[in-house]
Amino acid sequence: MELIINGSLRELEAENLAEVVGLLGLTGKPVAAEADGQIVSSEEWKQMAVRPGMRIELVHFVGGG
Amino acid sequence: MLFAPIGEQGQRILMNRSVLIVGMGALGTVLANHMVRSGIGRVRMVDRDYVEPSNLQRQMLFDEEDAEQGLPKVIAARNKLARINSSVELEAVFTDATPENIAGLLEGVDLVLDGTDNFETRFLLNDACFREGVPFLYGGAVSSRGMTALFIPGQTPCLRCLIQSADSGGQTCDTIGVISPIVDIVASYQAAEALKFLVGAADKRRSSLLTLDIWNNQYYEMKLGRAKDSCPCCGLRQYPALERKADDLLSLCGRESVQVSGHEPFDLDIWSGRLAPAVKSVKLNPYLLRAELSEGERLVLFADGRVLVQGTSDIIRAKTLYARYIGS
Ligand SMILES: [Zn+2]
Repeated sequence: MELIINGSLRELEAENLAEVVGLLGLTGKPVAAEADGQIVSSEEWKQMAVRPGMRIELVHFVGGG
Repeated sequence: MLFAPIGEQGQRILMNRSVLIVGMGALGTVLANHMVRSGIGRVRMVDRDYVEPSNLQRQMLFDEEDAEQGLPKVIAARNKLARINSSVELEAVFTDATPENIAGLLEGVDLVLDGTDNFETRFLLNDACFREGVPFLYGGAVSSRGMTALFIPGQTPCLRCLIQSADSGGQTCDTIGVISPIVDIVASYQAAEALKFLVGAADKRRSSLLTLDIWNNQYYEMKLGRAKDSCPCCGLRQYPALERKADDLLSLCGRESVQVSGHEPFDLDIWSGRLAPAVKSVKLNPYLLRAELSEGERLVLFADGRVLVQGTSDIIRAKTLYARYIGS
């Protein structure tokens, strides 16, 4: 399905937010997620169903400095 | 101070404020520069490292002479900052921020500014700040990306509410690099939020997590929302980073260095005499001793008892060299 991830249209086959994070290779990384403007904590990613057109923001925390 | 929202009165408030900057690398030097020029009353700086030539590309307070002398970053920074604004009380603490000493470092501080280069120290700061009720101003930069957020105990979530993992996937400034503009930008955003917070301009605070990529022209603000009930710090009042003991052996990611702590403080003069016959060369300054080994690595002894084995990231190799020259 088509999802809008970090502002770009992406074609991904995923049932829930945890799968989206996995497909992007971010599982286990320091990532915060927002779905349609609402922050979703990592324990809830599995229960968070995704649907076509959903706006997902994945913020990968930066550790350098 | 001509900028009206701060003004004369704000300037007086700032003179009575105190900040702690942890890490005096790329972000930390920009932060310190802003805080000192803004006339914050007291600036305490903590860093465990010394100036090397590779730092000069992005660490704005240092020069070639500092690198040549191998001065601790906090000392080199203090020397420079004292010439910029002599009315600011500067405290340079040359050590590692650890679970054991962090409460002391936070004493009397209104705000903690993040200039660190790793998540382990950030979680330590986060946990200590949330236990002591001191706001924590996170900032990070790598490659062309950067982010920042102000975490205020009792008012906003904390770093642990947002992320659980500290795995940066090996992406550090020393492995994939960083371009200096993003460092200045992130640290300047941090500095602006610091001034707003310190002067009491609560209505102007940015209550989001800001993410920037200056190469790919991206800018995003994620609303912080509320603290999580399941967060160890905010919900359960447990502070995992404060409960663990600091590692005696620490491979510094991307740095080809292993830090060994746990030794009693070194008398550097005595150790200089002791090591000189056994190694290729020894360089001594009041804060540290650098010994070039015939094996190719370098040992750096710090007065506080830490040793840095440079030229390897292999902990076993570091232990071997440590045992050979320092003892066990
Ligand atoms: Zn929290």
